[in-house]
Order: sequence, then C-alpha cells, then structure tokens
Amino acid sequence: MLRYLGLRIGQGLLTVFLTVSTVFLLVRLAPGDPAAAYAGPTATTEDLERVRAQFGLDQPLLAQYGVFLRNLVQGDLGTSYSFQAPALDVVLGRLPYTTTLATSAILLTTVVAVPLGVWMARRADTMRELAGNMVTIAGQSMPDFWSGIMLLTLFAVAVPILPASGFATWGGLVLPTVTIAILQVALISRLVRREMVAALGTPYLSVARSRGFGEGTLIWRYAMANSAIPVLTALGTRFAAMLNGVVVVEVVFSWPGVGSLVVRALETRDYPLIQATVLVTAALAIGVQLLVDLAYPLLDPRVRLGKVASS
Amino acid sequence: MSAVLPSVERPSAVTPALRAAAPAVRRARTLRIKTWIGLVCTAVVVLPVVMASLLPLPGPDTQDLSARRLPPLTDGHLFGTDQLGRDLLSRVLHGGQVSLLVGLLAVLTSGLIGLALGALAGYLGGWVDGVASRLAEAQMALPLLMMLLLVVALFGSSVPVITAVIPLAQWPEVFRLTRSLVLVERGKPYIDAARVLGLHRITILYRHVLPNVVRPVSLVVLLLLAQAVLLESALSYLGAGPERPFATWGRIVSDGQDYVTTSWWIATLPGLVIVLLVVGVNLLGDGLRDRSRRPRTSGGKA
Amino acid sequence: MSPLLDVEDLQVELITGAEIVRAVDGVSFTVRSGETVTLIGESGSGKSTTAMGILGLLPAGLAVLSGSARFCLPGGRAVDVVADPDAVRTVRGHGVSLVPQDPMTALSPVHPIGRQLGDALRLRQPGLSRAQVREHGVALLDQVHIPRAGTQWDAYPHQLSGGMLQRVLIAIALAGEPALLVADEPTSALDVTVQAGILDLLMELQERTGIGILLITHDLGVARLVSDRIHVMRHGRFVESGEVEQVVDAPREEYTRDLLAAVPALGEWDDAERNETEASA
Repeated sequence: MLRYLGLRIGQGLLTVFLTVSTVFLLVRLAPGDPAAAYAGPTATTEDLERVRAQFGLDQPLLAQYGVFLRNLVQGDLGTSYSFQAPALDVVLGRLPYTTTLATSAILLTTVVAVPLGVWMARRADTMRELAGNMVTIAGQSMPDFWSGIMLLTLFAVAVPILPASGFATWGGLVLPTVTIAILQVALISRLVRREMVAALGTPYLSVARSRGFGEGTLIWRYAMANSAIPVLTALGTRFAAMLNGVVVVEVVFSWPGVGSLVVRALETRDYPLIQATVLVTAALAIGVQLLVDLAYPLLDPRVRLGKVASS
Repeated sequence: MSAVLPSVERPSAVTPALRAAAPAVRRARTLRIKTWIGLVCTAVVVLPVVMASLLPLPGPDTQDLSARRLPPLTDGHLFGTDQLGRDLLSRVLHGGQVSLLVGLLAVLTSGLIGLALGALAGYLGGWVDGVASRLAEAQMALPLLMMLLLVVALFGSSVPVITAVIPLAQWPEVFRLTRSLVLVERGKPYIDAARVLGLHRITILYRHVLPNVVRPVSLVVLLLLAQAVLLESALSYLGAGPERPFATWGRIVSDGQDYVTTSWWIATLPGLVIVLLVVGVNLLGDGLRDRSRRPRTSGGKA
Repeated sequence: MSPLLDVEDLQVELITGAEIVRAVDGVSFTVRSGETVTLIGESGSGKSTTAMGILGLLPAGLAVLSGSARFCLPGGRAVDVVADPDAVRTVRGHGVSLVPQDPMTALSPVHPIGRQLGDALRLRQPGLSRAQVREHGVALLDQVHIPRAGTQWDAYPHQLSGGMLQRVLIAIALAGEPALLVADEPTSALDVTVQAGILDLLMELQERTGIGILLITHDLGVARLVSDRIHVMRHGRFVESGEVEQVVDAPREEYTRDLLAAVPALGEWDDAERNETEASA
C-alpha cells in the first residue's frame, strides 16, 4: 500500500517535471529570440539584456535549464510585461475563478449524470434509452464554444434573465457552468450506465435478488456501491481535466479565470505569463489527478485490505 | 419411480411480441439504427465538403458588400451570407475541407504511432515497454489545450503545425489499446507455434499479430477523429487555427459571434455542422464497436 | 401435506438473438419437507436453468417459462410462479433461499459480509436494532461453524476462503428462514476436502430444521451422499428418475449407465495400452 503511494507520488512529480521541461524546451526551440519572447515586443535593448541575464539565455542549454529550475523553485516565473507584475502572482490571482467554475460544474454534473445514467441502465436497449443515448452523444459532440454562444444568446440576450459575462453576481456562474456540464454529463452518464449495466449483470446481484431485496435496494445499495468507485474516480479525473480545459468557456463568457488569461497572454505574446499559466494549471491538474489515483485504493476494500487468506 | 417420459413435441410459448422484447433482439435493433443514423449524419457532412469545389457555389473568400448578412435561403445562399457578404455555405464547406484534412491526418498519425509503439511495447516487453508506457502516461497527464495553444503561439498556426501537434495528445490512447491487445495475442498458442517454426519476432508481429489487432484499434481511431475535429475547431475559435487556405469552422463561428443577435446563422450553422459530423462519427464508431463486441450465441447452459 | 415445490411440465425457452433455445423441455418433479431431491446432469443439460427459472432469476426478457411451478410454503398461500411471475417475489427470501454456485462472486465485494447478512436478516425482521441484527447474525455464523464469527462479521468477502464464503452464503440463506433450500452446485467451486464439510452442514441443517433441499449438481459422488431422490437430466429432459439407491445401483437407462461409468477409477498402469497410444501419436 505504502509502496503504491510512493510510486504514484513519484510518477506525479515526474510528470510535473516533464511538463516544466517541455515548456522550457518549447520556448527555446521556437523560431525567434527567446529573450525577445520573454521581454515582449516593446522591449528596449536594456530590457533584453536584463532578461538574458535573468534567464541565463546566453549560456549553454544545460546551464539555462539549471537557471530555469532554480528560478522555478524560488517561485520566480518571470515578470508579465502586459500586467507589469510577477507572472506567478497574476496567475494565482485568477486561479480561484477557474476552480470555482470547475467545482460548480462538477457538482452539477454529478447531480444530473448519475440519475440519468441509472435511468439509462434500467432501460438498456429500449427505444427510450436509444433516445437518451443520442442525447448524450449529442452533448458529447457539441463544441463548447458553440454551446456557450447558443446558451448565451438564448438566456442572456434574447431572454435576458442571466448575465452574459463576468462574475459580477453569482448568477453569472450559471451559464458557463451549464455549458461545461453538457459535455461532462454526457461522458459521466454513459460511464454510469456502463457500470450499472455491468453491476446489474453480476452473479452477486442475482444472488441478492434471490434474497428478496426490492429493485430499489438492489440498484441503489448494491449496484450503486459497486459502480461508485469508478464513477467517483472518473469525476475526479474530469475535475482535473477541467482545470486547464475550460479555456474556451472562459473566453466565451469573459470569465476572469486562468483560461481566458492564457488566451490573452497568447494574443499579447506575453511568454512569462503563458509559461506561468501552463505550469500552474499543469501542476494543479496533475496534483488533483494524483489525489484521485491515491483515493482509489482507499475506496476499494479489495485493494485497501489486500488478500488475506483465512480458513 | 418413472422411466423415461416419451418424447413429446411441446409447443413453444415464445410469441412474436415476447421475441421482439427480448434484450438480444432489442440490442441488435438499436445497434442497427444507431449505426445507420451515424452513417447518414457523417455522409451528410463529409460528402458535400469533399465535393465543395465541384458545387456551384461562390468562392469562400469572395466578398460582396452589397449582399451582407443575408439570412439563409435568400438569393441562392443556402446558409445566407456573413458580415462581408461571403457565402456562408461555401465558407463552411471549404473550411470543412481543411478541418477534415487536419483531422484525418492527425488521427492517421496518432493511429500509426500508437499502433507501432503499442505493438512493440506489448510484444517485446522489457525496457521498450517500460519507456513507452511511462511516456504515454506522462503525455496523458499533460494539459492538452494549453500546450497546444503554446505550441501554436510559438510555431505558428499552420496546417502542418496543428496536424503535428494533435497526435501528441491522441497517440497514448491508441498505444494503450494496442499494447493490451497485443499482450493478449502474445499469450496465444499460435504465436508459440510460429516461433517454433523459426519465424523472426518482427515478422510474427506484423504478419500475424497486427491483423488481429488492427480492427479494434481502427475503431478507436475513428472515434478519435471526432475528438480531433472538436480540438481543431476549439483552436480555430480561439484564433489559433489554420488560416490558409481557408478559415476553418471554429474561426467562422468566432467571426459570427458579434452578430449573433442580428444574424444568428453565421455563428449557429457552422456549429451545427460540427455537431452533425461529430455525432455521426461517434454513433458510427459506437455502433461498429458494439457490433464486434456482441457475444456469440451460446447453447443453453446448465 | 402438499409438497413445498411442485413442478409440472416446466419448459424454459431462451431467446438469444437469432435462435430460440429450449433449455428445459418439460420436466416434472416435487420436493417435500425433510427430503433432498437432486437434479444431476452434465453442463448444458438444463439443470441450473431449471432452478434459476423457478426462482425467477434468469435475465428478464431472455427466458420464457411455460408449464407450472407451484410453491406451497408454510405461512404463505400456494403460488404458481409460471402463471404469475410477479408472485415469485413473495417466495424469494420468504421461504425459499438460494445457495449459489460460486461463493467467490456471490457477494458484493465492497460491503462487509456482516452488512450483507444483516440486510437479509432485516428483510425478515425489519424492527431489529443494529445490535440485535449483529447478535442474530453472529449466531447464524456460529450455526454454520464459522470460527471467530464476531471478527468475521466485519470482514470483506475477498478476505475469506471459498469454503468459508460458502458457509456465509448458507448463513445468509438461512436468514430468510427458508422451508426450501435451492442449492445450485454448492460445492462445484470448492476443493474436494472442503466439499465434505459443506455437505455435512447441509445435512445437519436438514436434520435439525426439516427443510427441503433441491440440489443441482454434476457430481455423482455428491448426489450419492446427500440425495433421497435423483433425476438424471439431459438436453433439458429427465432421462431417469427414482430413489437414489435404485438409480445409482441399478440404472435402467443407458445414459445413466454411461454417466456412472464416466467417473474415472484408479486402476493399474496398463503399459501395453500406453505404448500403443504413444506409437500412434
């Protein structure tokens, strides 16, 4: 058990490391002067010199890597010239908006997808389920920028009951959350359906039925408990993916999170900010995913308690 | 007690209604419906896109400032025109050519890479497997969209760049599937037989193992096409998509966003086309996958 | 007194996509209190399908039953589960209990066994407190000879061996206070040494409480040990039926004789025969 923990943490750190290194490499492999990239289009010669010294850009690659890592560990990810502030601070300032959005989306997803998945599983292979199936496939197939614009038009412009952008009031959370949830509900409900159908077909469910338990108990106690573990871990994984996947939704709704930050940074070619955003969101997503992976053995008694033979 | 009862032909109690309601029959029927709808949806989008140059449409970049923002079905513009008077249907179809091209090339690349690495990892095992698997895991953990945006910002948003970068996100899934399938095949007796006959390992791999593995893998690749199209359109919406030779769907939608209350079609119709295509590909892929997974009918068990 | 189970002309057809398989083709038998009736046959003979069909445990929509299967359990009225399929819910766990085939997959892996036993107890006696449920449950576990029943209450299924799990399953079956036990190959998944213990337990329970047992097995040794009456099944039909001594010692049908002869017997090495087979390979 402990060994598994250590292994997963090690893998997580390795992946963060890999992400960090990839970003480092990419900026240096791209055409153009990295110093100009870091200093911005309005840099003076002095600025360029300063940036070169700060990042060690005139030194061999390996030495640069060392400088990069050293700066990273000290929390120095450069200065965003479009914000005129340390890049890391800018990113951390916008992070809570993204996590709020991701959290509300995952909650909405859970509340809708689980009953929907169970509904589909109980009617597996009927015409009604086929209709449900097509609806979820449609949800899975809509580009989020498009569904965002559609929802925006319908509920904020044509029928102005919800705010169109920003986070001035809590109402502004509704449309972006729903937009994100469309895809997530589709994915999770299909997973729930799969797991439920599998659980309903197991021998232990048949045996439980023979004991006289009602359908309700069979589904919500026995089948659900067994399906819960993969579903919970999937929800966790989706949450991790959302942390850096809500870029488009944030742009559509002008949501002040890290997604719209990265897009703006790309438009202004603000590389320290781009780098900082990618690093922070990657580390966070990897961290959350790690927690999810670690939670799995805790949830499943077969893994947690191991196989103990007794006679 | 009694000896053997005389053999009596008993009538069947299975009525046609019961038969139609049986899960096995229902499953086959819904599968058929699903696959057909998928095929139709896909064809409705792909065929016009492929034939775009042959259709009697104005050019996708031909502006006509006197015919700005016409609604659909006016003056021979099936989809209407955009804010510069360009025929929307033409833009959608030609942009679709680029989107589809990018998507197809991307999944072919990820398919080939994933297949090759997965087969090698599964068959050879050892350090090859170790390295490849770790690489795939790390890749899957990377923040996809952000990395894509970063690469595009650094290297430009041309078709080659985007076509090269999408497979980086997709190959791990193909790899994982291929690897597990190859592992299963490797344990089968016919592999041992081939080895005994003296066949070289690589020959066995591509002549015997791969043909058994290609079919399920290509189904996954089909589903990845849907994902690639969505990814490309998201990049394009954010302004990081290909501009040459034609603007792709996401860009057309973002261009139309400002006019969505007055000229809803500019933003809505390209999106609908994306949805239709992706739904079609997903349904088709799902249907084909379920069909190959159907359990064989077994005789009554005890 | 009417038999606990009276099956007449039972037919089970399975709809498997393209074809309709007649897994059970007209069988009739009864089970009374205090007796053990065995259905014996090879794989595919339809014996398990008969038992599962009667209990309404075949996948919905897959199986079509005809004929009749009447339960006449103490405390309830007579019920024909073929004529009235929904009524099977009134007998399952309320007079008829199942002892399933593979103990390793017969329990939910994520609930402790005490929880699952307790749930079954609470079905019969909804008013019990948690402490009472545990008390009754541990007593049941003791009855089936599970050592340290108190600690095992909190154990998970994967922590117990096959033999122990089968005892737990019998305990859960008993929680329903059954008059009839349907044992579907209860020892097939167990080691030979453990099998005897389970069979002993079943016999002990029958002696003590007078329950009827419908036993499904492919193992002649098992049938011989515990049965009162035997039905030999093949291709969905009974080939031979009778008191166990008569069928085993003086089988009337050729199939029964073949079945009996198919048990491998320890004998001398026949070198001549072995050399012959090697040479022709």
